[in-house]
Amino acid sequence: MAEPLAPKSDDQAARADDAPHQDIDWEAIEASPEFQELVHKRRSFVVPGTIFFLSWYMGFIVLAAYAEDFMSERVYQGLTVGYCLALTQFVMVLVLGIMYLRRADRVYDPLAAKAIERWTYLDTDAARARHVEERPVAITTSEVPGR
Amino acid sequence: MTVFAASINTTAVVVFAIILAITLGITYWASKRASSTAQFYAAGRGITGTQNGLAISGDYLSAASFLGIAGLIYLYGFDGFLYSIGFLVAFLTVMFLLAERMRNAGKYTIADVLAFRLRERPARVAAAIGTLNVAAFYLIAQMVGAGVLIEKLVGIDFTLSVLITGTFMLCYVVFGGMVATTWVQIVKAVLLMIGIVVMSIFVLNKVGFNPIELFNRAEAAGKAEESTFSLGPGTFLKNPIDTVSLGLALVLGTAGLPHILMRFFTVPNAKAARSSVVTAMFIIGFFYLLTTVIGFGARAILGQKGVEAAGKGGNLAAPNLAESLGGGAGTTGGDLFLAVIAGVAFATILAVVAGLVLSASSAVAHDIWSSIIRKGQNSDREEVMAAKIAALSIGAIAMVIAILGGEGLNVSFMVGLAFAIAASANFPALLLALTWRRFNTVGAVTGVLFGVVSALGLIIISPIVWGGPPGAPDTGAFTWYDLNNPGLISIPLGFLGCFLGTMLSTERETEHSYHELYVRSETGLGAERAVARS
Repeated sequence: MAEPLAPKSDDQAARADDAPHQDIDWEAIEASPEFQELVHKRRSFVVPGTIFFLSWYMGFIVLAAYAEDFMSERVYQGLTVGYCLALTQFVMVLVLGIMYLRRADRVYDPLAAKAIERWTYLDTDAARARHVEERPVAITTSEVPGR
Repeated sequence: MTVFAASINTTAVVVFAIILAITLGITYWASKRASSTAQFYAAGRGITGTQNGLAISGDYLSAASFLGIAGLIYLYGFDGFLYSIGFLVAFLTVMFLLAERMRNAGKYTIADVLAFRLRERPARVAAAIGTLNVAAFYLIAQMVGAGVLIEKLVGIDFTLSVLITGTFMLCYVVFGGMVATTWVQIVKAVLLMIGIVVMSIFVLNKVGFNPIELFNRAEAAGKAEESTFSLGPGTFLKNPIDTVSLGLALVLGTAGLPHILMRFFTVPNAKAARSSVVTAMFIIGFFYLLTTVIGFGARAILGQKGVEAAGKGGNLAAPNLAESLGGGAGTTGGDLFLAVIAGVAFATILAVVAGLVLSASSAVAHDIWSSIIRKGQNSDREEVMAAKIAALSIGAIAMVIAILGGEGLNVSFMVGLAFAIAASANFPALLLALTWRRFNTVGAVTGVLFGVVSALGLIIISPIVWGGPPGAPDTGAFTWYDLNNPGLISIPLGFLGCFLGTMLSTERETEHSYHELYVRSETGLGAERAVARS
């Protein structure tokens, strides 16, 4: 097992990972244009995507519940409308899943990295250990590179 | 007590022994790295996306999925397939709304996400109540299912079957923690997929690899007298509003299952979390397509005369089909194929119950023992010990209830209940903690309580508890209430509880703590790291 970097006997040390990283200015990140762009872009895919898949799925369920005759109609030999619609659910899951994966890799991850790049130096293991030993660490915004 | 029933299947015993030997080997290997909490609960966060995708599939595809759905499709056709659709589409809910956020914001349990911004003690108690309720119903259902199946397939007595399953499950969890549990789930997923693919090839071979021909043959065989088989809906789920309620609980319930959400804490970052969901979607989607082949194959080959042998709910349709495909009862091929499929079902049960016990014991040790009773003053080592003791106790209780309740407990009803509680209690509180700025502690507590109490209460008055046949309306003691699945009412009530609790209380500090949770869950800054392997 990996030994913690900070002395174990110290009460605060044992809880270090649970403590909020107070020296990171979370509100500043939240207000940054990169973060706003990230949230906006993610939301503009996830919200319509969720509405779409829930509607398509619940629509299928409602048809299966209330439109037995329609769902039992033949498309080709033993293949019924119900099974065709069920197969569209499989296609929907895989298509939306892969679309999200590609978007996340190409768009969301780079934006997230940009939004936090000024702060990641405070989020290294060494910085976490320092954070524990010398708490509270006063890092003023002037010390933050890029400001 | 007769320990061994009249006909013990020796081939099956050998296959079981091989599976147990493999999983115990994994546990021995994993036991050396299960000493810290990060290793015990989260496998050091060193599981890759692909491995985790396999492990999610292994955690999710229970015996209810493998034998239960194949059996329902065999008996009823389309309505059995309806379950698989809900189980699969649910992963879009998990992926779009929770997977990455859980990874970025959580540590070991779903309570960590709530406690991050809410008052710690009530938030953890609420989340632990949700987790333990879901895990309890799901676990007991799986244990009973395990007992029934092993009794029928191998010829070992029900009580002994439950004891064997419980003992091995506890071995994996107590000695190997999340590392062993993950690899048992991965091995199980691989075995399950190989088993169902081989069986499907045998079935498809009989129809010249033409799926439409399989539909035609199943339909022709389904026209027999007293057959309930249909290629359209309505033969099993007869009450439309109940079907809608079930559908809703399935699609939202997975996103509240603690043993599934816990898997996202085992990967190094959000990227691996989302890729693991897509891997799981492929495996689970392919699996559910093949359960149709198995169910239709059983209908076409075993026909209506196989219904009695398939048992209640058709659970034994798949093993019986395997026996028939191998050459029939009494032949070497038939015995071997039956034994292999029984072994796969056994591995399936073991992997699912291990994941459930681990999630329940983490809620007890991490949320209740360490954070509430010991107020964070205990050492890492003590928490691991507490988790192991919790696992032993939970496992023992589940075994006792399964044995006392015996074969009379309705497995699919209990799984449905677990999904309904997960969707009504855990899902609303988690989603709102991550996305609603105004959400507060009172909202989380009332939401979880509304969800758990309404789901349980509605189940208690449901027709299925009062003797009505599944899906039939206007039966049972409470004729004005005919939902067997409470989701349609209890899920909105869970959200309503969160909303009312929040709006009617004055706690506002949680809006401040939201900034960190929000940024962290969206970007991964400050998220828990993978630990180096020793």
